Amino acid sequence: MTVKVEKIEGGIPHNTIMVAGLIASVILIYLTYANVLTGTAYFSFFGGLATVAALVWGSHAIKHLCSYGIGTGVPSAGMIAFGSGVIAMLFATKYGVAAPIVAVIVAAILGAIFGYLANNVLSMRIPVMIISLIELSVIGALTLMGYAAMMTGSFNLTALTTGSIAILGMSLPSYYVSFIGGALIATVFMLGAIAIQHPFNACLGPNWTQDRMLTLAAECGFLSMIVAAIMSMALIPMGAALISLFVAVIGWYYTYAKYIELSRRDAAAWLDSKPIPDVEGQ
Amino acid sequence: MVESIVFGIGITALAGALATVAGAAENVESDIGSQGDPNSQVQLAPQMGYIHRIFNKAVAGEPPAYGLWIALGAGLAWAFLAMQINPILALVLGSSLAVFVQGVYATTAYLGRTASLAKFGQPVYVDILKSMTTVTMAHAFVAIFTTVTMCYLINAALGHPFPLPLLGIVWGIALGAAGSATGNPFYGKERQYQNQKYGAGVPIAASGNIVRFAEAGERNSLDNGWFSARLGGPASGVCFGLIVFLELWRTVLFEEVGSGWGAIVMGIIIILVFMVIDRYIEVWARKNYGPFVKPEETSS
Repeated sequence: MTVKVEKIEGGIPHNTIMVAGLIASVILIYLTYANVLTGTAYFSFFGGLATVAALVWGSHAIKHLCSYGIGTGVPSAGMIAFGSGVIAMLFATKYGVAAPIVAVIVAAILGAIFGYLANNVLSMRIPVMIISLIELSVIGALTLMGYAAMMTGSFNLTALTTGSIAILGMSLPSYYVSFIGGALIATVFMLGAIAIQHPFNACLGPNWTQDRMLTLAAECGFLSMIVAAIMSMALIPMGAALISLFVAVIGWYYTYAKYIELSRRDAAAWLDSKPIPDVEGQ
Repeated sequence: MVESIVFGIGITALAGALATVAGAAENVESDIGSQGDPNSQVQLAPQMGYIHRIFNKAVAGEPPAYGLWIALGAGLAWAFLAMQINPILALVLGSSLAVFVQGVYATTAYLGRTASLAKFGQPVYVDILKSMTTVTMAHAFVAIFTTVTMCYLINAALGHPFPLPLLGIVWGIALGAAGSATGNPFYGKERQYQNQKYGAGVPIAASGNIVRFAEAGERNSLDNGWFSARLGGPASGVCFGLIVFLELWRTVLFEEVGSGWGAIVMGIIIILVFMVIDRYIEVWARKNYGPFVKPEETSS
């Protein structure tokens, strides 16, 4: 289907959101590198903020792609974003400090290949397909890297595959108590994949508004960050995890209250225990 | 050897029982939230002029949504276990936090969907939001806790090599798929269209004209939960319970045969047996209930 059925009217242009999201999430992931420089884990929460920035951009990218009449494909757009993103993210963690940049480049290449396959081999012929899949792959890779940085304090492969287990009071290195060895990457995969598609999936319809959807995207990001912070307690020191949790709860509360306010603004009516109103023509 | 097989069969039975409860709770939860199959009609109804008081909380299709809830419950439980917390407490805490996330997603989905339908005059009902979300959360807790416990048993008692979160994602998607495929038609094709001759979606003109009024007053999603708890829920439960039971049963009993190939061959045999059963039921149902043979005579 190539007919554009929904227009994005007014609001912030997509390109602005894309550039802001890309720069913000890459910079925020790099800020977690302060952990390495200071030898602590207190800066891990920047990884969580990077995921929020990436998810806000991601929700708008899905809106951009799905405005071509892909209604039931909204959740699957989240899945392909993270499916291609996880490859790029894991590959990039081998490259030390350059990891976020490498992740962006590899994800963009993968996204272009998938977009080409979708458009030319599967003949979906959607004009923004290639660019959207490039964006979504980059978002998936950055979000997963953000969670990895937040939950382990670092974004290199050694840190992601090595945890420590306390046996008889001694701390021993263990693969099984790590981000990848314990398959926490599976949990954050689903956290991100649902969080990226939910804002547009929940707000689609004739009265879609951009600010409401983007607020919901931030809310989903912070909500995922809350549970990611709790899971990070097993991998990083408790103090650092509590900082992440604190930041996430404040961000979530603010965006959730804001989202309810915006829904109240946009809704036809806000009724409590009232019957179905009479509609003209019935 | 025999003892370990007996132990394995015991765990298999327990996991199957947990899965049955999970399937039933999952289906009732998703039906109260109009998730999956019935969702399109609930979403469409206001656009056709049928304003309703049905809860609409489509977070995603059921398989991805349950993939998240279970993977999240399992991931959190895994983290608590890694922090040396008692397993039962870890499973309960993990499931509770996952339910919190589920509840927040449900409220934002209802508010977002309804606010975007403002053009058609569909109001947001705050009482629906409060009463339905809590009921779905209760059902979701049962579904998540039982499935995560089942994954824990598979991992800790049967020695499955996958870590808890990975088992969670696999079985979560399976649970959502079982509920979506088995239970939803009871609501989406039957309950929503009780006032139509052959149930759902036969004439296109009936699209969106879902049942909105109850025996007394206006129908809400708790009535749909009550309806699907009788047939749809148990059917989903039996479906998911059988999937889990047969999957573990063939692994426990036949894994040693032919260095693992025994379990694979047994799996193929089970699929073939079910194909025969399905075909038999289909033919039997068509012969006994098929209304399309002579529609004029039966409908007049």
